[in-house]
Amino acid sequence: MSNAQATEQSERILKQLVDKGKPILGYVYPHTPLEIIMAHGMMPALLFANPTVMGSYEASLQTFACSFIRNMFSQRVHDQLPYVDGIVFPGNTCDSLQNLADIWHLRFPQDKIFRLTYPAGDQGEAAVQYFAEELRIFSNSLQDAYGSPFSDDAFRLAVDLVQRFRNAVQFLYAARLLQPSSVPYHRIAAFVREFHSAPLETVVDELRPIVNDVERSLAEAGRVDSTKALQHALLERKLEDVSLPSDLPTPRIAIVGGMTEPQAIAELVNAVSKVSSTAIVFDLLSFGFKTIFTPMPALEGDSFETMARSVLGALLEPTQEGLPKRLEFLKDVLTHLAIDGLIVCEQSFCDPDVFEAPSLLAVASEVGVRSVRLPVDPEFSDRARLEGRIQSFLETLAHGGAA
Amino acid sequence: MSEKAYRVLESHNFLQGVMYRYMLEGHAASEEGKLAWVTSGFPVEIPVAMDVGVSYPEQYGAIVGSEKVGPKLCGYAEELGYSQELCSYARASIGSVKYPEESPLEGLPAPQALLACNNICGTVLRWYDAISQMIGAPVFLVDTPPLEGEQLPHHIAYVRHGLDNLVSFLSEQFGTTLKEDKLREVTDLSTETIGVWTQCLEACKNKPSPLNCADRFLAMAPVVAIRGRDYTLEYYQTLLNEVKDRVANGLGAIRDEKVRLLWDNIPPWFRVFRIMGSLAKRGVVFPADTYTHAWTGSFKDEDRMDSIASMYSNVYLNKGLEAKIDKMCGLIKDYDLDGFVMFSVRSCKRYSLGQLVSKELVSERTGVPGVVIEGDMVDSRLQNDAQVETRLDALLEMLL
Ligand code: SF4
Ligand code: SF4
Repeated sequence: MSNAQATEQSERILKQLVDKGKPILGYVYPHTPLEIIMAHGMMPALLFANPTVMGSYEASLQTFACSFIRNMFSQRVHDQLPYVDGIVFPGNTCDSLQNLADIWHLRFPQDKIFRLTYPAGDQGEAAVQYFAEELRIFSNSLQDAYGSPFSDDAFRLAVDLVQRFRNAVQFLYAARLLQPSSVPYHRIAAFVREFHSAPLETVVDELRPIVNDVERSLAEAGRVDSTKALQHALLERKLEDVSLPSDLPTPRIAIVGGMTEPQAIAELVNAVSKVSSTAIVFDLLSFGFKTIFTPMPALEGDSFETMARSVLGALLEPTQEGLPKRLEFLKDVLTHLAIDGLIVCEQSFCDPDVFEAPSLLAVASEVGVRSVRLPVDPEFSDRARLEGRIQSFLETLAHGGAA
Repeated sequence: MSEKAYRVLESHNFLQGVMYRYMLEGHAASEEGKLAWVTSGFPVEIPVAMDVGVSYPEQYGAIVGSEKVGPKLCGYAEELGYSQELCSYARASIGSVKYPEESPLEGLPAPQALLACNNICGTVLRWYDAISQMIGAPVFLVDTPPLEGEQLPHHIAYVRHGLDNLVSFLSEQFGTTLKEDKLREVTDLSTETIGVWTQCLEACKNKPSPLNCADRFLAMAPVVAIRGRDYTLEYYQTLLNEVKDRVANGLGAIRDEKVRLLWDNIPPWFRVFRIMGSLAKRGVVFPADTYTHAWTGSFKDEDRMDSIASMYSNVYLNKGLEAKIDKMCGLIKDYDLDGFVMFSVRSCKRYSLGQLVSKELVSERTGVPGVVIEGDMVDSRLQNDAQVETRLDALLEMLL
């Protein structure tokens, strides 16, 4: 499924839900606690950049706003956002999103806007307590706005559903690293996108036969246990003992970047490369690995606190403190997962991505992994150049060029 | 020869001495292994009370801009892969760390720690992370999540926890301790300094205004960089005396005040005097600006650490767009201004995104016209002077 088809499909699903009277809450930050929203009987729907919508932000946003928020705003101006009853924006993640929520509120005062403010600091328990309180306030404001209280039962069901989905996709991530032919990356990306657009049981149902097929093909090669062990190692972020088969197809490419849409990148790589179905073996994207490998919230204790621990337990984002930790993990990924090419995506005018890119490239070079920097915008307005860049990068990898 | 349109402040000599002393202190602290770089909204009273020297890279960025070497130093950062889209204070500082010998004053003295507070923007953390990668000094972040409305107890507890961690970090890093009486002394001095500075700002409500915004942009350096020192307080007292003299004698910052405007945002350091000078000739003065008014507030007599947590969370830039609009409307009313200029700084998304909306709302609420001009504070390559001039002319046509 192409990126455009995925957009259409998620809109169709949301429309059906709206017709059934289900309230929808849009969100833009990958670490939004879906389970809390679902505990209020609402459907969280990730709002994606829409490549077909351009312009019309100019009266409210300068050109140096990041391309993602420009696209979001343009969708709103053109009335092309999927139908949502409100939007939750994150606070304290990046300057662009921080300001966008304010601008949105002033420009569209009739829209219901919520803000969930995250800690940027790596401050352990204090950050958990702070964020738990923010979640409680967020939950109260959902109740005030929609009259639907937080339900413990609905929360448990939501935790269970999200976890079953993540478990299945985690397994596919691990499988792809050990046997890249077992499932194409763009297929995984499509599932991740579908679930984030509307976390429904049907997505998990659709996933089940795929996981079964992959498990069967791994079983034939005697790799089920090692895949599960790798899934666990990825969840724990302890990769030093990972052992990979020696006959893996090359090149093995990892993609890193912040809020870049995995499916869009997969599509771009597919378009230029014949080896693409096995080439992308891993990502460190916000809407990919970083959310999928979020630890499960404990079911015991205060729901907001366990949720806070879960969200803050995910791999750190470029929007947060902790660059040395991120670089350390990237180094582990490159060396222990036998990566031989790294694509560093950065959305234009995205300060977190753009600031981090030189350090990521330096790590790749330090461990002898070739890399390419890919400045993208959600509209892929420079598509031919991007494809050319990926093409020549793949050629360099094929010919064993210098790192 | 005709009289100059602009009056130079005599206390500027004192200011130069203060800044020179601050620079020497920074070098001495660095040599002793006791220097930290600090962001402009950092709770600097804590390192100062713990005898840790401080240097402000943003202020250094202003020097780079004024000396017109922004493109060169930012270019060095770009060679290292830091795109032109990023904050030019950050790029200038990265460039100067890479090539100190090519930089004004041979760069800032080398720090042993990098202390960031994100109450002004999220960029500072990423900037300091990048510097840390280059020089190895550790980064410490005081996280002050942006406020919407009132500061709630869990927010203050979180920031307070961060400050306690800061004390532990500094103790460990520099082998020093924090004494309660010293913190009181430093915060009292800070409060007093900010108080005198605020009086200087408020004196500009007078007509003619005794200060123009370029005067304040220069004079603000110590209140940003070295509040909590006795010589800083002394400087502001001297400045206040001169300001009071001007008011008493009916002397304005410019010779012939005709139009009073508000300036919003950081100035283009490489062009600010030229812009202000040519506007002064046309009778335009800026009695108020949002930038220098950002350093206000006082430490209350409660627990000083709680007071620090509250004051630094509540800084102007850590609040939403509504608060900024209120601030601008308040300044326009209180200083009886005829219009406003919003400088849209490509480098600074936190300060600038939202200006197009606030321009409309501020005009609507105050009834005075405004203009948005785009450029940069350090990197002159990002500024189109002709466009800036045309826009300013358009505003002045309405007012003169
Ligand atoms: S993280 Fe980057 S892409 Fe996402 S909203 Fe912020 S600046 Fe834009
Ligand atoms: S982004 Fe803005 S507030 Fe932040 S350091 Fe740069 S100029 Fe200062």
